[in-house]
Amino acid sequence: MKLKEINILSLLSDTWGPRIATSVIILVSAFVTNAIIMLLCHYNPLEAYQAAVNGAFGNSRKFGETLVKSTPFLMAGLSVAMAFRCGIWNIGAEGQFLMGALTATWFGTKLAPFFPQSPWIAVPLCLGLATLAGGIWGLIPAVLKVARGVNEVISTIMLNYVALHLVSMMIDGGPLQETAQRGPQSDRIVEWMFLPRILPPHRVHLGIIIAVVLAIILTFILFRTAFGFQLRAVGEGAAAAEAAGISIVHNTLRVFFISGAIAGLGGAIELTALTRRLFLNFSPGYGYTAIAVALLAKLNPVVTVAAALLFGALTTGSYSMQREVGISDKVTLVMQATILLFVIGYSSVQLFHDIFSHKKCL
Amino acid sequence: MFEDILSATIRGATPLLLAALGEVISQRAGVLNIGIEGMMLIGAFFGMVGSFYAADLVMIAPWFGLLMAGLSGLIAAALFALCAIRLRGDQVIIGTAMTLLALGLTEVVYQRLFGITGIAQGVPAFQQLEIPLLSQIPFFGRALFSHNILVYIAFLLVPCVYFFLYHTQQGLRVRACGEHPRAIASAGANVFRLRTICLLFAGAMAGIAGGYLSLADVPYFTPGMTVGRGFIALAIVIFGKWHPVKACGAALLFGLGSALDARFQALGWDIPYQVFLMLPYVLCLAVLAGFVGRAEAPLALGRPYGQSNA
Repeated sequence: MKLKEINILSLLSDTWGPRIATSVIILVSAFVTNAIIMLLCHYNPLEAYQAAVNGAFGNSRKFGETLVKSTPFLMAGLSVAMAFRCGIWNIGAEGQFLMGALTATWFGTKLAPFFPQSPWIAVPLCLGLATLAGGIWGLIPAVLKVARGVNEVISTIMLNYVALHLVSMMIDGGPLQETAQRGPQSDRIVEWMFLPRILPPHRVHLGIIIAVVLAIILTFILFRTAFGFQLRAVGEGAAAAEAAGISIVHNTLRVFFISGAIAGLGGAIELTALTRRLFLNFSPGYGYTAIAVALLAKLNPVVTVAAALLFGALTTGSYSMQREVGISDKVTLVMQATILLFVIGYSSVQLFHDIFSHKKCL
Repeated sequence: MFEDILSATIRGATPLLLAALGEVISQRAGVLNIGIEGMMLIGAFFGMVGSFYAADLVMIAPWFGLLMAGLSGLIAAALFALCAIRLRGDQVIIGTAMTLLALGLTEVVYQRLFGITGIAQGVPAFQQLEIPLLSQIPFFGRALFSHNILVYIAFLLVPCVYFFLYHTQQGLRVRACGEHPRAIASAGANVFRLRTICLLFAGAMAGIAGGYLSLADVPYFTPGMTVGRGFIALAIVIFGKWHPVKACGAALLFGLGSALDARFQALGWDIPYQVFLMLPYVLCLAVLAGFVGRAEAPLALGRPYGQSNA
């Protein structure tokens, strides 16, 4: 096995067959590794996985919950996939997600009374504002990068924490804290701002459909339009793209805005459809998990839907693992980490390239 | 009040400083370790476990815990090195994976070992060590010289790291490794080995910093107890412009921030406490953007080294 210079994008050059095969092998390796970890901790991995599958897909209610849990992973994953695909290392989906949710809360608790009480006006307005807020939060590292040459990895990590403490400032002693002033959380948003739930007994909501449609639109834009081609060209070779007349500065700003906007919309969907109020720990690290989601999906928006579903299933599955086998539900984080490490392992060893590439094997 | 704040500043700065000193070395060698948060958490967990299983020997237990903390950080760094230096994977992704792994693994194992009783498992911890005579100095003696031994070690390490980086041949090689690995390789140094050693040092230091949290700061472990301190250490390295002495200053500044955050209400200031929590990150951004003096990152920071781009 020959070591090549590592570029995550090198994985993307494969055709569909090897691409799916890589993902499957990465997943199997991760599941096996996790089983070994469970064995070392004296849990029965077979029982645990059975409980997980049952908890995630056992009946229509459980599957509905899995869909609900997948939505934030999908939105944040789309945000990360867009950015990485275009050569922007946006680690800031977490912060952009929170800023979207914060804006939706502000609109839903303080501004909404000034608007007509119709969901047809309030909901789109709220989601739109949150999308804008996420985009603007994403523009901060973009401007720092193009104007001052600041590495976006560091700046987005730092901005995540700024956003986290900003949320805490607003809802813990700040202007958005609930009127009862009991705990660090906001008031519930007004009722006509709720994003509708589409299958009433379940919590399945309209946001899921929005997210899937968005994934399709993004794929279309990326792979079927000149605009998308420009974005990808910069990701795959900035120097060549610039020589071809594509402005790197404009592209950086655009990609960061789009990526931030998607994450912001995700935060607003989660808030208006599900939690309906903002609290500390509103996001249990969706923005970081999204990196695993996006990479597992090889940065393809449509495939991200499947990856997000898997991560949603892992989440609901982990609850029933906790209940039935007694293993901490944080085992999903171990799973996410092992998936990431195997993505690294496989993309660097280029195992698949050697096995599946016709040039080398046949 | 003054004594109290000074003492709390130093206590708050110590874990940040320990982790930051390691990170200074690894970043100067060109490895961007953003998994520092995870390595601290692993250190905190295994530090507590080490001390718990050696609890019969009360005098040695915290030291054994500290050894475990450092070793576990080192092992985590070895995994990082395997992926980032041998396999030349992306350091940002590996760092993220490391933090997720630590958050998950420590909680899973903690729950297995100690259950979900909700009561944290207490262990033997480092005791305060008053330095004779010096701690008798009026006004600031007690604040400066009445801490546990890790505090003294952390601050004594600052000149050591400084001397190593700027006044030894190996230190020069480490810095060259981060600026222009190809040059140092053609001068006969092994870039892979140098970077691996620096990363292992950073991991051990992050582990010890975590050990400080569960063996000295408080005598127990709680899942997720590092609460972002690893990322503050990252901010410190940048705010300190990749220089150990300046990083020490930055650690003290942020330590002061956290000391004030707990006491500002008593001082009667009408500032939301979150402002102090936000401060390290905002200052780090300001430094990066060149608003507070320009900081030059090591040129090859975060870039894998290998034959093709050697």
